[in-house]
Order: sequence, then structure tokens, then C-alpha cells
Amino acid sequence: MISGLRGTLGVLAAIFWKGMKHYLRYPGSLLIYLMLPFLFTMLIFGMGRFIGGGNAALNFATRTGTSNVLVYEMLGGAVWMTSWVVVEDVGVALRDEQMKGTLEQNFLAPVNRFTLLIGISLTDIAITTAIFLVVVGATLVFTMPGAYLAFFQAFLILLIGLIPLFGLGFFFSGFVIKFKEPYIFTQMVNLIFGTLTGTYYPVTILPYWVQFLSGVLPQTYVISNMRQIILANQTLVSLYGSIFILLALAVVYPTLGYLVFKKLEKDASVTGELSKY
Amino acid sequence: MLPVNYPSINGLNRLAVEFKAAFMKDLRSYLRYPAWLIGDLISTPLWFFFFAVGVTLFAPTTQTSEYHGFSFFFFGFIFIVLFSTTIWGVGQSVRNEQMAGTLEQFFLAPANRLTLIVGRWARIFVTDLLVVGYTTGLLYLFGGGPLPLYEPIPFTFALGLFEVGSIGFGLFFAGLTMKLKSYNTLSNLVFFGYMILTGALFPVTVIPMPFRYVSLAIPFTYFIDLMRHAALLTPTILPESLEYVTAIIVAVVMFLVGLTTFNWIEQDARIRGSIATN
Repeated sequence: MISGLRGTLGVLAAIFWKGMKHYLRYPGSLLIYLMLPFLFTMLIFGMGRFIGGGNAALNFATRTGTSNVLVYEMLGGAVWMTSWVVVEDVGVALRDEQMKGTLEQNFLAPVNRFTLLIGISLTDIAITTAIFLVVVGATLVFTMPGAYLAFFQAFLILLIGLIPLFGLGFFFSGFVIKFKEPYIFTQMVNLIFGTLTGTYYPVTILPYWVQFLSGVLPQTYVISNMRQIILANQTLVSLYGSIFILLALAVVYPTLGYLVFKKLEKDASVTGELSKY
Repeated sequence: MLPVNYPSINGLNRLAVEFKAAFMKDLRSYLRYPAWLIGDLISTPLWFFFFAVGVTLFAPTTQTSEYHGFSFFFFGFIFIVLFSTTIWGVGQSVRNEQMAGTLEQFFLAPANRLTLIVGRWARIFVTDLLVVGYTTGLLYLFGGGPLPLYEPIPFTFALGLFEVGSIGFGLFFAGLTMKLKSYNTLSNLVFFGYMILTGALFPVTVIPMPFRYVSLAIPFTYFIDLMRHAALLTPTILPESLEYVTAIIVAVVMFLVGLTTFNWIEQDARIRGSIATN
């Protein structure tokens, strides 16, 4: 088993570059991640203009507290895309290895499973950072050019929010190895995340029991905090309550996710389910 | 040599047998993985809910929608489901066979390509109708009210034109998959372009003027406009009779262009030896 700081860093770097090479070889998937928030926002805005007519922006401001529709929607869309990337990549990465017939080689390599999962996650930190910089950065440059400090704080929140998200990714990873058929599953999970976390609306308009489910998802806090910081002049300090919850989730989700992954992986190795089909 | 994608010389019976075989083969594949059906049943109403809640932020506090707001969106949603059949059903059928390693057998079979692809389309169309029906019932139970359909016969006719045109478009895309192999980026962009530009979810009059010309140049805009007109009695873009004539001509042209392109790309791929997975 490769151990020690230098060995572990070498493994992480190798897995990271493997993931980056994949993205660079197929730039179309990154392009889609960058474009989807803009396209979804255009759709929602077009539908909103139709139903709200000349008062659409005013109605929106009454319900959300801001008339800046574009920034409000793009922040939600960007965070949704980051969770989409994590679910698709971390959750499906090992299934892809199964399909290519390379999962066994990966698992036989003298590398800790946790290091393997962290390595996959590192690529996603780079990709989600790119999504955030392009989607939110471009939106703010054109609509709120002086908000660079708020932008930086929002980015920090994204980084904190990625930790519990990777925990969810570990969980999905194990689930997919065990039950195969990841694509329908990830599509549903992404949609459920988009709906529950207030991607294009405040979660307060959802029924109470749904808000409870929203409250256990890290993206809900990330989106809400980003909107507070960029659109309502709040700071990381003033939002300490929800930052604390986010930090707590950052401990709980990776721990639980890894435990579930290990359990499902062990079961699969006992029953011989690590195969392709 | 007789082009393989034109109607078989052995008559309609043979076409019917081929169609049934293709339909049943795809149905069996679909039912073999219950996750697909469960996924459709959950994600279809959830997509509608996701968009509907987002749009309510813009709605006036008093309900004064000009064209039955809820029904307008719901029909738009149906048009999106139907188009997804074109892109990911018909369009990706060839790629699916490539990935499963059965494309060569598929092309070597003494059967008409078109019938086989239409068989797949028919399976997806049937399951789409089931999912749309289920979603309609679900939304009714949640207080969405009944979905109006004022002129069912013109609606069915317009739906038929939509499907003829979309099969042609799907065949064009199926040909592209042989050229491009991984075409996910292109299919996603086309899908979103369709949702935004064809007036599926909002009238084309909402689209700013230079872009509206693009909308008016897309055939699907007219199919959708006619279906919505028949269902909700909304005004048509062109005078009604002229729009029907235009839609008929465009649907036939799309079908023929799609079929011809598919044939041409397949022949080219055979010559170049590029009918392979990678």
C-alpha cells in the first residue's frame, strides 16, 4: 500500500491529472456545464416574462427581495451545476471504470480507497471552480462590477459546500457500484437537488415538509448564503449560523458517505458484483 | 443496388413484421431495466414542478393569465418530452447499437433500416404518452385542474405533422452519430435551442426581435403553434390555413431530407469503414 505524504500526494496528482485529461479530451462536457446555467436562466426568464408581463421583475422582487433576476438565478444555476458535476463525476466515475473493465486494476493498485475517492474529487474542485468563475464571474462583471469582495466570499462558501457534496458523491459511488444503472439515478438525484435546494426560487415557498428535506442538503445553504452576500450585502461573519451548519455537514457527509461506500464495496466484493453487468 | 432505407420490395406485410419486431425488441430492453421506467415516472413530473415553481416568482398575485398559464406550460412540457424522443430516442438509436456492439448485426439484417428506427421511435412514443398521461393525472390530483383540448382532431393532425417532421430530424441526427460518434454536446445544445427558440414554453412574441426571426425559421415553431392553437385556441403565427399548408410541406421535406441524409452518411461510413464504436 502506498503510504506517506509524498506517496499519497503522488497518487492524488496522478488521479487528478487523469481526470483533467479526460475533461480536456472531451471539452464538450465542460462546455455544457458552463452553458446550462445561462440556458436554464433564459428559459425561466422567458417563461416568467410571459406569465408576469411588464410587471414580471416587480413580482419577482416582491417575492425574493431583489430585482436583480439575472444574478439571483445565475447563482442558483452555478451551484446546481457544481453539484451536478460532483454527482456525475464522483458518483459515476467508478461505474465508468467498471464499464471500461479497469475497476479491478484500480482496486488492486496499492492505493487506499479514500485516496482514490479524494483524487477524483480534486479534479472536480478544478472543474467546479472553473464553472463558478465563468458563470458567476461573467454575470457579476456585467451586472455588479464592483462586487469582487462579495464574489470572493461567495467562492469561499462554494469551497466549504463542496466538502459535504463530495461526501454525497462517495455515497453515490458505492450505490452505483452495487446497483449499476447510474444514469437514471444521477438524473433523478440532480433534479431532486435542483428542486429542493432553491436553485431558481427561495426554499421558503416550498411546503414545510419539503423545506425540512432542503435543510439537510448543503447546496441549500450555499445558494442562500451566496445570495445573501452578493445581493443583500451580508458577510461570512454575519452568516455564521448557516456557515456553522455547513461546516457540520462537511464533517457528517464525508464520514457517512465513506462508511456507506466501504460497506457497499465490501458487499459487492463478497458477492462478486464488482463486474461490469 | 437498391438503397436499403427505402420501402422493401416485399410489401407491407414484411414492413409490418419488421416494425413489430423492432418495437418489441425495444420494449423488452426498456422493461428489462425497471429503473428507466421508475426514473421517467419520477423525473417527468419533477421537471415540470421545478420549472413551474421557478416561474411562479414572476406571476402576478391575482391570476390573470392570458392563455391558461398552467395549461400553456404543461403543453409546452409535452412538446419538450416529444422532442426529447427525437433527439435521444431516434437520434441516438444508432449510437446505442454501436455501444452495445450490435450495429453491424443491425445493418446486416435483411430488414429495412427505416422500419427498425421507426419501431424504436414507436416504443418511445408509446411510453412517452403513458408518462405524459400519468403526469397529467398526478398534476390534476395536486390541483392543476383538467387539461383543455378544444379541437382534438386538428390537434391530432398537428401532432402527426410534428412526428413526421421529428422522425426526419431524428434520422438526420442518427446519421450524425455515425459521423460524430459522441454527440452529447450537440444534442444538448439543439435541445435547449428548441426549448428556448420554438415557443414551446412561451410564445415566440416574448423573444426579442432579431432572435425571433430565428424562431420563425425553425419548422418546429409552426408544429407547436398549431398544436397549441388546436388545444387552447391561442392565435396562430400565420393565418391558420396558410400555417397548416406550410407545416404539411415542411414536415414532408424534413422527413425526406432526414432519410436521404441518413442513407448518404451510412453509405459513406460503409465505404470508409467507419461503422464502429470508436
